[in-house]
Amino acid sequence: MSTPLIHNERFVQIAAPVLVGVLVLLMWQFAVMAFEVPKYLVPSPVDIGRSLVNDFPSLFNALLMTLKVTFLAFAIAVIFGVAASLLFVQSKWIEISLFPYAVLMQVTPVVAIAPLIIIWVDDTTWALTICAVIVAIFPIISNTTLGLRSVDPNLLSMFRMYRASRWQELIRLRIPGALPYFFGGLRISSGLALIGAVVAEFVAGTGGAKAGLAYMILQSGYNLQIPKMFAALILITLTGILLFALMVWMSDRALRNWHESALKVEH
Amino acid sequence: MTATKVTPLNPASESESAPGEVVTAAHRPVLEVEGVDKVYGNGTVALKGADLTVGEGEFVSLLGPSGCGKSTLLRIMAGLGGVSSGSVKWWEQDYNVVGSKGRKLAFVFQNATLMPWARVRKNVRLPLDLEHAGKSSEVDQKIDDALNMVGLKGFDQSFPRELSGGMQMRASIARAMITEPNLLLMDEPFGALDEMTRNKLNDDVLKLWKEKGWTIVFVTHSVYEAVYLSGRVVVMAARPGRIVDDITIDQPYPRSPDFRVSTEFAGYCRQVSQALERASAMGEDREEDQL
Repeated sequence: MSTPLIHNERFVQIAAPVLVGVLVLLMWQFAVMAFEVPKYLVPSPVDIGRSLVNDFPSLFNALLMTLKVTFLAFAIAVIFGVAASLLFVQSKWIEISLFPYAVLMQVTPVVAIAPLIIIWVDDTTWALTICAVIVAIFPIISNTTLGLRSVDPNLLSMFRMYRASRWQELIRLRIPGALPYFFGGLRISSGLALIGAVVAEFVAGTGGAKAGLAYMILQSGYNLQIPKMFAALILITLTGILLFALMVWMSDRALRNWHESALKVEH
Repeated sequence: MTATKVTPLNPASESESAPGEVVTAAHRPVLEVEGVDKVYGNGTVALKGADLTVGEGEFVSLLGPSGCGKSTLLRIMAGLGGVSSGSVKWWEQDYNVVGSKGRKLAFVFQNATLMPWARVRKNVRLPLDLEHAGKSSEVDQKIDDALNMVGLKGFDQSFPRELSGGMQMRASIARAMITEPNLLLMDEPFGALDEMTRNKLNDDVLKLWKEKGWTIVFVTHSVYEAVYLSGRVVVMAARPGRIVDDITIDQPYPRSPDFRVSTEFAGYCRQVSQALERASAMGEDREEDQL
């Protein structure tokens, strides 16, 4: 006998939020039509959808540009963040000397330093990427360092009793043990890379061939093309959601056999 | 108490011990702890003047109330913690001798201490990997033998979380035996297990000890476990941690479950319990003095 869909946990997990979304869109559409709100104030979902289709070529190019900066920044943040963490766990002195600067980078608003970076770095893509890296790198450094340090003391004693080298200790014990923390950092950092890219674009206000979604939002705002503004906003949000989902999937793949965060609990 | 002296030996040590003789520290010493004090940075005196010699092939239990320094002493024996004063010798030499042929040491922790991300097989072979043993049919055979010995055949591809507490402890013992240790230090390894599993594992450890000719120092809270397993029970008192009694369990091996219900067993348990009560009272007296 087949189980009714309503009892299928996976179906409910997807269907319930979709249903809420559809209801909100319907109410939005209805309200805009009923109160005859002009589309330069609040466009209806249908207007936004139409803009998504009609302006697709320019929106798509902008999306590619934003994605390029986001992924580039994210990759650099991961590489340098992990490298910094590995350096920090080598010696408490290195960590004490350098960690405050990582914090400094985290607490300095990127909007405040973006103009400087844009002046200093000729290439716009790289200037935007550097800004996004500054925003995205801290969770990787902080989480991975915490993970590399959070080793079961008994396991560490055992490694030392068997006279493991520092390299063996790192590869066989610290890195595998740090993976859950690292993936936690990735989830936060992926979203921040996107936010960093968008914020930097706002500050740079770059147009032309290198225009990203943020510039589209700015430009549409000036031209009162509010449906296009919403369309760009939707693309940014979707990108963020997809990035997050990708990180969750990667984390589940890597940890599903052993870590509590990725285990499927059977009732 | 009427404990009769019967042939008691760990057969692996028989060549060095005359029949009818209990294995004692009179045999070649594996561990010599002399006047060891351990004071932690905050001023806590964990051990005061600990003297203990463990002879080859002996099964010695350390028993005492919480905080009496049993685990501290065991970790010092494993070279995992320095001493504030006094000395420790392994096979009549310093710690550098540990790890060489015939001088191998293994430690079994209170919990299984397995790497949760690695399958049982990889956990068991870890000490060999750390020694760069490489991959060979000989190594594979060694791992299979160790797993068979502890009754984990068929579970080598499981992850630790898929095993029960008792099975995880077995994997931990398999990992300890993979290096063919001569000295095995066990820190309350079965404390968290139910009584049935604990009894079964006690018998398994005794069987392996007999077959492999290990020297074992076993920390426990349980009087029954200490008496069942050991040739000697060393009783410790707290505040500061010190050795206050050393009781020989003059009973033959192999010990079967029948031993658990014998009058001799009851007699030894009473003797050890009384020593333990005296040890606990010593700790409390000190505490009252301090108040």
